[in-house]
Amino acid sequence: MSALTFTARGMPAADIDCGGLTCDSLAGKSAAEVAKLPILVGGRQTPCGDVFDVSGSDTMQIVFRGNGATCNRIGAGMTIGSIRVEGDAGDHLGLQMKGGKITVTGNAGDFAACEMKRGRIVVQGNVGDSAGAPLPGNKKGMSGGMLVVHGNAGERLADQLRRGQILVAGNAGAYAASRMIAGTLVVLGTVGAHCGHAMRRGSLIVRQRPPLPATFADCGTHTLAFLPLLMASWKEAGAPFATLPVNPRAQRWMGDTGNGGKAEVLVWA
Amino acid sequence: MLIKLTGGKVIDPAHNVDGVARDIYIRDGRIVDAPEPGAKVDQEYDLRGKLVMAGAIDLHTHIGGGKVNIARAMLPEDHRPDLCAATDLERSGCGHAAPSTFTTGYRYAEMGYTAGFEPAMMPVNARQAHMEMGDTPIIDKGAYAMLGSDDLLLSLMKDGVDQRVINDYVAWTITHSQAMGLKVVNPGGISAFKFNQRKLDLDEQAPFYGVTPRQILKTLAQALHDLGVPHPLHVHGCNLGVPGNVQTTLDSFAALDGLPAHFTHIQFHSYGTEGDRKFSSGAAHIAEMVNKHKNISVDVGQILFGQTVTASGDNMSQHRNAAHADPSKSVIMDIECDAGCGVVPFRYRDTNFVNALQWCIGLETFLLVDDPWRVFLTTDHPNGAPFTSYPHLIRLLMDKSFRNEQLARINTDAAGLSTLGSLDREYSLYEIAIMTRAAPAKTLGLRDRGHLGVGAAADITVYTEDADREKMFAKPNYVFKDGTLVARDGRIVQVVWGNTHVVKPEYDPGIEKVIEPHFRRFRTQRMGNFKISNDEMCECGHGSKLHVHDCTHGRKQ
Repeated sequence: MSALTFTARGMPAADIDCGGLTCDSLAGKSAAEVAKLPILVGGRQTPCGDVFDVSGSDTMQIVFRGNGATCNRIGAGMTIGSIRVEGDAGDHLGLQMKGGKITVTGNAGDFAACEMKRGRIVVQGNVGDSAGAPLPGNKKGMSGGMLVVHGNAGERLADQLRRGQILVAGNAGAYAASRMIAGTLVVLGTVGAHCGHAMRRGSLIVRQRPPLPATFADCGTHTLAFLPLLMASWKEAGAPFATLPVNPRAQRWMGDTGNGGKAEVLVWA
Repeated sequence: MLIKLTGGKVIDPAHNVDGVARDIYIRDGRIVDAPEPGAKVDQEYDLRGKLVMAGAIDLHTHIGGGKVNIARAMLPEDHRPDLCAATDLERSGCGHAAPSTFTTGYRYAEMGYTAGFEPAMMPVNARQAHMEMGDTPIIDKGAYAMLGSDDLLLSLMKDGVDQRVINDYVAWTITHSQAMGLKVVNPGGISAFKFNQRKLDLDEQAPFYGVTPRQILKTLAQALHDLGVPHPLHVHGCNLGVPGNVQTTLDSFAALDGLPAHFTHIQFHSYGTEGDRKFSSGAAHIAEMVNKHKNISVDVGQILFGQTVTASGDNMSQHRNAAHADPSKSVIMDIECDAGCGVVPFRYRDTNFVNALQWCIGLETFLLVDDPWRVFLTTDHPNGAPFTSYPHLIRLLMDKSFRNEQLARINTDAAGLSTLGSLDREYSLYEIAIMTRAAPAKTLGLRDRGHLGVGAAADITVYTEDADREKMFAKPNYVFKDGTLVARDGRIVQVVWGNTHVVKPEYDPGIEKVIEPHFRRFRTQRMGNFKISNDEMCECGHGSKLHVHDCTHGRKQ
C-alpha cells in the first residue's frame, strides 16, 4: 500500500486547516472519499480535493507534498500513525498531539508541538516562535513526547513547557525556556536574551554559557550521573544529538529566583 | 400586519390560564383582540397541539459590564472549543461560559427567552454595560445599578443624613445610569475589602465609615420602597459561600423589618455547618422563612456540573474563592469609589463533596419554597452554570425520576446528607411558566411582558410537548419577539433588536449639590459625563427602544 499523499495544487492563497487530515480521522477512507471531505480554507468549508490532489491508500502513513507553509494544524490531536511533510509546514504543527510521529523536511511555522502530549516531531529545518508553548492564554505547554529541531528555533521556545524534551541543534531566539514549568530543553547552538525568564522548574541544557538574567545563581561544577542517561535517550533522535561526546560534568545555574528558583541551567562541553 | 396563532394550548399564569386552546392575534408587535370576522389574516401559524407561553424572562444573568469582558478576555480556552461561524443572519461568536454579546442574544432567543437583566451594573461602569447589552441582539435588556459599598452612600450614612437624601441619591443613580432597579452586593463588604478586611458580618461596623451591613440593607430597601421602584432591593448578602452563612441570610431577612426585598442566588447563601465536614444544607430553613415572609422573593443560582466562570462584584468572596480557581487564574480588582470586581473560573465537579452538596441545596430550595411566584429559575449565569443549561435545570425540577438518577451519580456523602431524594415535588408546566415568565415580569414591573393578555408585547414562545423536558425547552418551535418570528426549531431566522427597560424615579435635583463635589473631588469622571442620556442609550443599542416603567409601586403618598 502506498502512503496517502496530499499534493498541493499550486499555491493556495489562504490558510488551510489540515487539523482533520490525520491518521485517526481518515482511517478506513479511500482517497476519493478523503478528497470530498470539507476542510477550512481561509475560514470557509471547502472540499479537500479543491486544494490537494489526494492519492494513495495507506491512511496510517500520510504525506503532505508541495507548498505546505500555509498548511496549519498538521497532525493536530493525532494519536497514531505517521505524517511526513515534504517541504514546509505551517503553524500549530502537531497541536495537542497524543501519539505517532511527524517528520518535516523543511521548516515549520509558529507554535510547533503546541500542547503536545505524546509522540515525536522531527523538523529538519527551522521552527518559528513559541515551539512547545501553550496556546495563548493557556497555562501549560507541551506536556510529553519529543520535539527535535535540526535547524534554529524562534523566540519563546519551550514557553511553559510542562514535561517532555525539546532538542534544538541550531540556535534559539529570545526568551527560551521562559516560564518553563518542568521538562527538558536542549540547545546545541546559542541562546538569545532573557533565557529562563520566570523559569520555575525543569532543565535548560546548553553547550556555552547563555546570557542569563541576574536572578540565576551559579552553583558550581558538578558530576551529574543523570546526564549520560539522558543523553542515551537521544540515540533515537539521530545526529548530532546521538553522536555528542558523553560528559557528566556540567556547570549549574539555579533560578529563576524571582519564581521559586528550582529550575536549572546546565552548561556542559 | 395581522398574525394569527391558531389553536395552541395557552399557559398564561398571569391570567390564570392553564392549557386552554385558543387563538392569539398579533398586530404591530402587540397581542390584540380577535378582529372582526372576515378581517384579513396576513400570516397564520397552526399551533394545534402545541404549547404557547409568553417569552421567558431571566431576571438575573450577567451579560454585560466590565466583569463579563474580563471573563471573556481571560478565558480563551472557553472560546476555542465553542466557535459559532457567521451566517447570512448571525454574526460570528464564541464562548460557552462567557459567550460574546451576539452569541448570548442568539442563544437566549433560540431557547425561547426574550428578556435578560444584568444584575450587577456598577454605576461608574454603566456606559460599558449598556454598550455590551446594546450589542446583544433580539432579547430585551435592563440592569440593576449596584450601590451599597460606594463611598458616597457610606459617607452620607456616616453623616447620618435623612432617608430622603439617600432616596434622592438612589433615584439619581438609577435614573442617570439608566437602570431598572438597584442591587446591593455584600453591603459594605466591598468597601471593607479595600481597607484590607476579608470578612464583614451583618452587624459588624465597616471600617472607616462605621456603618453596618444591616443598616445599609435597611436603608436601601427603604429607599426603593419610598421611591416606588417596582423591583424591590436585589440583595446579594454578606458571607457568600461561607459555611454557616444560612444564619446571616435569615438575619438579613429579619433586618428588613417587613420591607420587600429580593434575595438573589440564595443557594450560595444557604450553607450550614453540620456534619463531619462542617458543611451542610440550610435550604430547609431558608425555604421555611421564604414561605412565611411574603415580602421576600428569591432566585436560586443553581449550580450545574461542568466548567464555568464566576463573575461578581463581591471581590471579598471572590478573593476567597480564587484559591479554587480552575484553570488557575483570576482577576480581583477594586473599582474607584464604587465597588469591586472578581472573576474566577470554576469547574463544578459531581465527585466533589462541596459542589455536589451545592447542587442539592439549590434543588432543595426550588422544591421546598411553595410559592413559584417568589422563587425564580436562575443559575446566576455564568456563576452557577451557563444559561444554556436552563432546559436541563427545568427537567431536574419537572422530572423526579430523572432527578434521582442524577442524584445517584454525585458524591455519595453529599447525597446522603441531602433531603433531595425524599422530595417528591415535580414542577408543573404552569409553575415553570410562573417562575420563568409571569413572576419575573411582575416583580420587575414589566406590565406588558410575561403574559399573553390583550395589549401585551408579542413576546411568545411555542413548544411541542415532550416527556423529555430538557429537549422540549431547549428548542422551541417558534419564538416571537415583539411580533417578529425570530427563531424556529431552535435556529435563528430573523434578527431584531430588543428594547431596554429602565425606571426613572423622581428625585429632588438639589441632590446634585451633594453628588457633584464628590465626583469633582474623588472620581476620574465629572458628574456631567457620568450621566447617560436617552439618546445615547438608543444609539448604542442599534436603535432599540427605551421603555421607561412607572414608579408607583406601593408608593407612599
